[in-house]
Amino acid sequence: MQTHIISLLVEDNPGVLTRMSGMFTQRGINITSLTVSPCEKERLSRMTVAIEGSESELEMVRKQLSNLIEVIKVVDLKESEAIIRDLCLLKVHAKDPEARSEVMQLAESYGAKILDAALDSVTLELTEEPKKIDRFVDLMRHFGVKQLFRTGVTAIGISAGVEK
Amino acid sequence: MAKQKLSGAEIVVEELKTEGAEVAFGIPGGVLLDLYDVLYKEETIRHILMRHEQCAAHAADGYARVSGKAGVCIATSGPGATNLVTGLANANMDSSPVVALTGQVPTSVIGTNAFQEASTFTITMPITKHNFLVKRTEDLPKIIHNAFYIANTGRKGVVLVDLPNDILAGVAEVDLHPKETFAGYKPNIKPNQVQIKRVVEILANAERPLILAGGGVISADAAAELCHLADFLGAPVVTTLMGKGAIPENHPFCLGMAGMHGQLYANRAINECDALLALGTRFSDRTTGWQLDQFAPDATIIHVDIDTAEINKNIQVDIPIVGDVKLALSGILKLLEKKRAKKSGSEWEKRIKKMHSACDSCVEDISREGASVSDILIKEISKILDDDAIVTTEVGQCQMFAAHYYMTRKPRTFISSGGLGTMGFGFPAAIGAKVAAPDKKVVDIAGDGSFLMTCQDLATCVENDIQVVVCILDNRYLGMVRQWQELFYEKKYAHTGLGITPDFVKLAEAFGCYGERVEKPEDLKDALNNAFESGKPAVLDMIVGKDDKILPMIPPGGGITGMIGTERCKRI
Repeated sequence: MQTHIISLLVEDNPGVLTRMSGMFTQRGINITSLTVSPCEKERLSRMTVAIEGSESELEMVRKQLSNLIEVIKVVDLKESEAIIRDLCLLKVHAKDPEARSEVMQLAESYGAKILDAALDSVTLELTEEPKKIDRFVDLMRHFGVKQLFRTGVTAIGISAGVEK
Repeated sequence: MAKQKLSGAEIVVEELKTEGAEVAFGIPGGVLLDLYDVLYKEETIRHILMRHEQCAAHAADGYARVSGKAGVCIATSGPGATNLVTGLANANMDSSPVVALTGQVPTSVIGTNAFQEASTFTITMPITKHNFLVKRTEDLPKIIHNAFYIANTGRKGVVLVDLPNDILAGVAEVDLHPKETFAGYKPNIKPNQVQIKRVVEILANAERPLILAGGGVISADAAAELCHLADFLGAPVVTTLMGKGAIPENHPFCLGMAGMHGQLYANRAINECDALLALGTRFSDRTTGWQLDQFAPDATIIHVDIDTAEINKNIQVDIPIVGDVKLALSGILKLLEKKRAKKSGSEWEKRIKKMHSACDSCVEDISREGASVSDILIKEISKILDDDAIVTTEVGQCQMFAAHYYMTRKPRTFISSGGLGTMGFGFPAAIGAKVAAPDKKVVDIAGDGSFLMTCQDLATCVENDIQVVVCILDNRYLGMVRQWQELFYEKKYAHTGLGITPDFVKLAEAFGCYGERVEKPEDLKDALNNAFESGKPAVLDMIVGKDDKILPMIPPGGGITGMIGTERCKRI
């Protein structure tokens, strides 16, 4: 089992998301993260789907996704050939000044932005590779995470010919 | 052409005509009144009023399989649409081109649990090739055109168009007959020439080549090319259930159907071959068995299929060719004929000739106590019917008796529910078949359990003068499940006995059909003649023993060389 990131270019119609996600449901594959947004082309959307699965499961679902009429293009993005980003918003407990300054220092070293600071908490934003966010969130758990929001991954190919 | 001002219902009917739809099987309803109001005046489309929507879908499916054209079915919103579901799933699973039109509540009340509302769009998503929920009347020309285009190209399948009431009633200025298609739909038709060269290399040098023909050969109309290649290579042909008819089963190179209930030597050939050319098949478990190490272990496996997603899905193949089977076969033949002369007289060919008639010549001794008469009845039907006759089947023992013993001689003359295994399919499919080919004899080989699931459409046959003959293998049991209970569940016959079943002769007569009981196989010939000559739809109630078993078979979990019940099979 490993994480695969599939990038889909789809028609922006009602029901496309159900149709696409149904392909995974039918095969019992769990979607670990999903982002949908407009893209550079009119009336088309880009979906970035992260799944846990074997190579063969990925291959099958990739071909079956390509068969969907409203799916224009399916690209299997390899970690080494893509820039992958996730956006995380989190509210961390920071009641005493010592904790607060430690949280802020760590945030700075990870490149996280401080969005808001209250007497008992700090709200942070970090846009990074998912694994780096995982590490940052783990660190913040020492202080106590009040709330955590992540957008899920979006990714863009970097080598020539991956995404036209 | 200039834009025309038309109602949604008028647009739908105009586009149906343009797409060549001559028949629609349907049932009207509240939200379809506008559509039926237009159909009322329409003379080029024959509407056949069915008695259940499931039958409408099966009839459209049967029509499509026989004619090669998309079949059309119509149902109203809510229960009408949900009743269609089984039929649509069945057609889609067997890659049969069907266009389904369903009524829907007005767009303003969709999602409010309005009267007769069901979310047809989401319900049918996983069981169709594609579906549409129409939101604007002006979108109808493109949608109807593409419904037919998508259903009938690439890997064929079902396309459903959900038509809200206000969209049908609404008026729009439109250009009829658009050519525009969808960017995301590009079926793979043309096979790769490099792959064809590789295949020719393998086939030219194979000592024991074998062809496995699936339903794709029939839907691509590639039967002639298949026979030509088999002849040229000296290669035997085995078929799947869906492939029955791709090659005449009396052709000396045909070994019949392979798989779970296939013929012993068809399965042996798969195990023995050194090159397997699989055409238009998805290697279903009913064909391959479950011990895949017994499936063509020494062979280079070549897989030709129009659907990329079928490649390496169930069986890992050595050389895939994605594309139309007919084009691939012509490509292979063309190169092969250049490469070497026709091969004949090989050891393999001699063995095939021995294998060919092994199943036919194994005859049941009818005088024996408890002798199975089901197979004798099917062989008898096979003898009585001419080459053009169409046989449909229900599902279960009757289906497998038909698959095993009915000798199919032409493509599109054996119609069966392969993938979904839908009891109740055969009779309504026979209705569609007869409508598609009114000059041919159409016989449904049924079981009493299956027939009771859809027999209400005898009314449709009588009303519309559709003369199909239903031959029931009547054993008063759900025979296939009973067979499994006997063989694998210590003869505990849990809920497979049908108890007091209706008198099928009287049932037929009550509908205005011809009915006759066949107590002994030797009476079948006269009974069938009486049925055909009655000029009415007919039901023959053929009495068979509850212990009749369709054997040999691959037991669940077994492999292609592990058939059980081969005692009766001829040894060669």
